[in-house]
Amino acid sequence: MRLKCEKIGRLLSDYIDGTLSERQNSSVALHLRSCGVCKREVVALKKTNHLLENFYVEPEASDAYYARFTTQLQHRIEQSAPTALHQRLFAVATRLGWHLLTQLHRGIDHSRLGGLFSIRQHVFPYYIFGLTLTMLVVAPLLLIQVSTHDDGSHVLSRLYAAAKIRFFSVDSPISVQPTAALAIKQDTTGTQPTGIRRNVNSGHPTEPPAIDSGSDVWVFTDEPMTEGYIFTTLQEDDSDTIPSVALDIDSELLAYAEIPAQGAFWARLTGRDVLTESRYALLLLQGMDEQHALQQYERKWNGSKGFSQKLLDVPLETLSISEVYDSREL
Amino acid sequence: MERTEALLIADLCEGDETALAPLVEKYKRMVYRLAMQITKNHADADDVMQETFIKVYRSIRTFRKDAAFETWLYRITVNEALNFVKRRERQRVSTLETASESEYEAVTRYRAQVANDPHAHAEKAELRHHVTKAVNSLSLKHRTVVILHEFEGLTHAEIAAILNCSEGTVRSRLHYARKKLRTLLKPYVDASNI
Repeated sequence: MRLKCEKIGRLLSDYIDGTLSERQNSSVALHLRSCGVCKREVVALKKTNHLLENFYVEPEASDAYYARFTTQLQHRIEQSAPTALHQRLFAVATRLGWHLLTQLHRGIDHSRLGGLFSIRQHVFPYYIFGLTLTMLVVAPLLLIQVSTHDDGSHVLSRLYAAAKIRFFSVDSPISVQPTAALAIKQDTTGTQPTGIRRNVNSGHPTEPPAIDSGSDVWVFTDEPMTEGYIFTTLQEDDSDTIPSVALDIDSELLAYAEIPAQGAFWARLTGRDVLTESRYALLLLQGMDEQHALQQYERKWNGSKGFSQKLLDVPLETLSISEVYDSREL
Repeated sequence: MERTEALLIADLCEGDETALAPLVEKYKRMVYRLAMQITKNHADADDVMQETFIKVYRSIRTFRKDAAFETWLYRITVNEALNFVKRRERQRVSTLETASESEYEAVTRYRAQVANDPHAHAEKAELRHHVTKAVNSLSLKHRTVVILHEFEGLTHAEIAAILNCSEGTVRSRLHYARKKLRTLLKPYVDASNI
């Protein structure tokens, strides 16, 4: 009976909400007829709900506060609005472009082509921009087959937040080649492109990072690399396009590498600051003191190309030595 | 002529800043209420309000017109508020329990209302105080689900979409939150005659 009560007990909250299936509802109702304990539990839950409905005080601010808030918000939006002539012209051109593109979409939608290209209006301009960018940037590169230095910008252009990882030797500022690959932790559950998810609880250096969800796997790159990227992507679902992963304060970026004569290392970068829209961080592995890290930062700053430009947005305080897990100690 | 919500959103997409004000006017109380309930801190709720509407202004083009604007706004608000709370917990700054009274216009106003209302029965005032305190004492996850379900009237599916978790998780959190509330409010539950 007790086992049955435990099982039924988990359904009682849904029972009083009326959200159980017909079958479950009948089972609970049948059980309640013969069990005084569970019956009292239902009554207590209903009474609790009654108290919440009737006596909970919802917070409300004064009208003066709302008036002040509206003014402040307006001021902030005005401040962020373009002021210089060229900025205003750019803003007007952007609005005009957006308007023309939505009109173009309307035209296509009403024509016979509408059946062939079923694209939602609000994303249509992005398709056009994407197509134009592809024509201007990707196509010439493919045609000329120029192999340029991989600065990561091609990856970043599609990403919402990212961290670049480089592996350094303990006593040398030169990048080293891991014998094993860089590992990138990816989420494989969603239908959308992969992204880094929270899931590492281990904060103790003698324990391997624990994965608390079966939804994540470690994916090793095909070729060992001296550097790579870990990233979150824009995750869309049915309700909107807010990148919940990137907004998640618990998100953590992880990397794994095996470096000759030094062993294997876990590196972890935590905190929300590196997971915002415009910030990227350099994740440094073992062997770099703070001064050395800043030198690397300066070097990348002076490089000022692609990814390095993104690094300009990183406040110095976010550039710190990450926690390192040495597999030899595990 | 007053613009409809859909028209306001369309105008905002095309860069018409004046379309934001009516949307703020319509939803400011909802956003404040939610932000305050999650953060329990007027200063943070104010920041959440600002960030939420700034995000609406900047990201409106990513909003899918076939979705409900209110749900989208709920999601932004809840995410912003949760991030504020987690950040605050890291920084160990003031909470409702420790901060000065003057920070909380809402709480002050409520207390003033109770004090000034000649018909407010002392017992009812005490009950309001204990019920509100019980909800505020729930863990962040439990409190968020209770607020969205009990007070905002959202379904399990809507809450799951807002919190980016499964419906099962929402049900489970609600179940444990109610059990906790029942324990916290036991003397009042036992005395209740409904």
